[in-house]
Amino acid sequence: MIELVRDLSTFDGVPGFEGDVREYIKERAEKLCQEVFCDTQGNLFAFKKGEYTPARPIMLTAHMDEVGFLVKSITEDGMLRIVASGSVDPRVLIGRKMKVGKSKIAGVISLKAIHLTKPDERKKAPELKSLYIDIGADSKDEALKYVSVGDTAVFDSEFALIGSDCIKGKALDDRIGCAVLLKLMEQDIKYDAWFVFTAAEEIGARGAINAVQRIDPGFIAAVDSTGAGDTADTPVHLRSCAMRDGAVISLIDRGTVFDRALREKVTAALDRRCIRWQYRTRSEGATDAMAHVYGTGAKVFGLSTPVRYIHCACSVAYLPDIDAVLKAAGVFIEEAGDMNA
Amino acid sequence: MELVDKIKRLTSEFGVSGDEKRVSAIAAELLREYTDEVQIDEFGNVTGFLSCGVEGAPTLMLDAHIDQIGFIVTGITDGGFLRFMAIGVDQRMLPGSELAVLTREGVIRGVVGTIPAIMQDDPTASIPIGDMTVDIGMTAEEARRVVRVGDYMAFYNPPFELLGNKLCSKALDDRACFVCILHALELLRNKQLKVNLLVCASIKEELGGHGSLYVAYRHKPEFAIAIDVSHAKTQDAPEVVCELGKGPIIDIGYNSRPELFALVKKAADDNNIPYQVTPCPAGSGTNAWSIQLAGKGVGTFVMSLPLKYMHSPVEVLHTEDVRNTGALIAAFAQAFDGRVQL
Repeated sequence: MIELVRDLSTFDGVPGFEGDVREYIKERAEKLCQEVFCDTQGNLFAFKKGEYTPARPIMLTAHMDEVGFLVKSITEDGMLRIVASGSVDPRVLIGRKMKVGKSKIAGVISLKAIHLTKPDERKKAPELKSLYIDIGADSKDEALKYVSVGDTAVFDSEFALIGSDCIKGKALDDRIGCAVLLKLMEQDIKYDAWFVFTAAEEIGARGAINAVQRIDPGFIAAVDSTGAGDTADTPVHLRSCAMRDGAVISLIDRGTVFDRALREKVTAALDRRCIRWQYRTRSEGATDAMAHVYGTGAKVFGLSTPVRYIHCACSVAYLPDIDAVLKAAGVFIEEAGDMNA
Repeated sequence: MELVDKIKRLTSEFGVSGDEKRVSAIAAELLREYTDEVQIDEFGNVTGFLSCGVEGAPTLMLDAHIDQIGFIVTGITDGGFLRFMAIGVDQRMLPGSELAVLTREGVIRGVVGTIPAIMQDDPTASIPIGDMTVDIGMTAEEARRVVRVGDYMAFYNPPFELLGNKLCSKALDDRACFVCILHALELLRNKQLKVNLLVCASIKEELGGHGSLYVAYRHKPEFAIAIDVSHAKTQDAPEVVCELGKGPIIDIGYNSRPELFALVKKAADDNNIPYQVTPCPAGSGTNAWSIQLAGKGVGTFVMSLPLKYMHSPVEVLHTEDVRNTGALIAAFAQAFDGRVQL
């Protein structure tokens, strides 16, 4: 599992540019599934036969894209101005190493030296429009030899094991989910299932909406990553979920009211098998699950890995939590199938 | 070893002000290539002496500091997060950055975190350092076993190259300038000088030049050049005059003696070395400020390497500037006979 997450997080996949992630997954899925294909939006579909065929299809999604940037313009002095694709707090960009375009040109985002600032200036966070990527070019012409407007830019952050059983890296949202689905595909499953690796979740679950209409599933589980709020100064009662507390099960979010009967069956099964899980106790955000309204109707389940500092260069996750999500995804297939046999 | 590799070697190591010993060892090893008389004092200052062989010759000190900005652990929370204070860092650099925690068991990696943005009152305000913690992926029990209050931390960022002969790393301030001095020594190999050279890789500059002051007091050089970094122009600092890639910056003022300025400028002109001039009306913000006060007084001069994004985890220099700064140090040292006209 670590190797899968490591490999996947190293790839870059700004919405619409998920190609490297998709190729990696496709190559593995083809060895494990009966049917694998892509659609025109960049979604990757993999169908795996189970022991039984459910009355209506069971579908699991994980999104391949990550929050990132596109180059908006190149200034006369060779600096790259950027726009965000997905929701990123500009405050986490300052002091970061970036990689730009297909050839992964190295660059940095920074600010003038502290010596040149006034105390009041340091209290205000710069907006994205005032930040730029410095790739070392001295002029626009020099920069244009390596970079074009429209090129992607993403965090360059080494994947590493830290502390006890924790991982640190970029794009853990949602390469962890992609790794979970790939791992689940390696196992024998009780019911047939569609594993869908979606494009462009970060800009509104765009890929998932088309995918749902293609498969028209009766049951959907969105396997995603969600911000863990168990950081030092967050009041306990305001936390959404906590790292080390297991798989995160959604109740409601800005895109979905999750199916209560399905949720209760799955969580009861998790309890019977002593698999650690917790509820997501805040309602901000949305996942691929929001696409469930587009078909003829599906019972929908939300399953996430708690990730600290989500949408940052250095996100942190706990390996046993990922393992709990993998087990819970397997339980979802069984419970959904049993409801629907 | 290439100049860039020497810089990378020095900036890959961690050495915050007051905890420089690991860097001192590397600086001493690199300096031994040029003289057998290398010492590391009890504080971590590294000195190397190169005699010119002329009896009674004056000594020219060449100083660059090897400490870097950083952080100190001030507490461990019940969730296993580290509280910390900073030395010389803009708080806006920190959220989402990666730190090396320098524990007694070695370097461990951590990530700077805050409360999630959706729970902050004003997401357009920068976050005070007191409201940040370092996440080392451990529970409180584990963290307290490994980390002690008082442990140092530094930006993790290893060096890498950008386009156009640029190098990016933490701690280029001021270890890149120690490599400028090494380059000067390379150019001066087998050259007869009229002054002795006292090379110094000094500690605790970021706290006020304490290390170089001891060295100047003990060794009593007649003259000293403090080689440090200086701001280069960026889009968000258009008021800065000096630029990357245009050669060393030479200062003129009380702290960067006008009579030495004339000689350095002549050496640059005679050898076609590009340079930029900066007025230095009072303190230079370099070790020249402290060295000047040692004993009966040292004739100090300030030479600087242009640097973008100083004190950030991603400082940027131009490698040609390193070469030219070394060349100017060498050209001056070779021409200098220790006599100055006030």
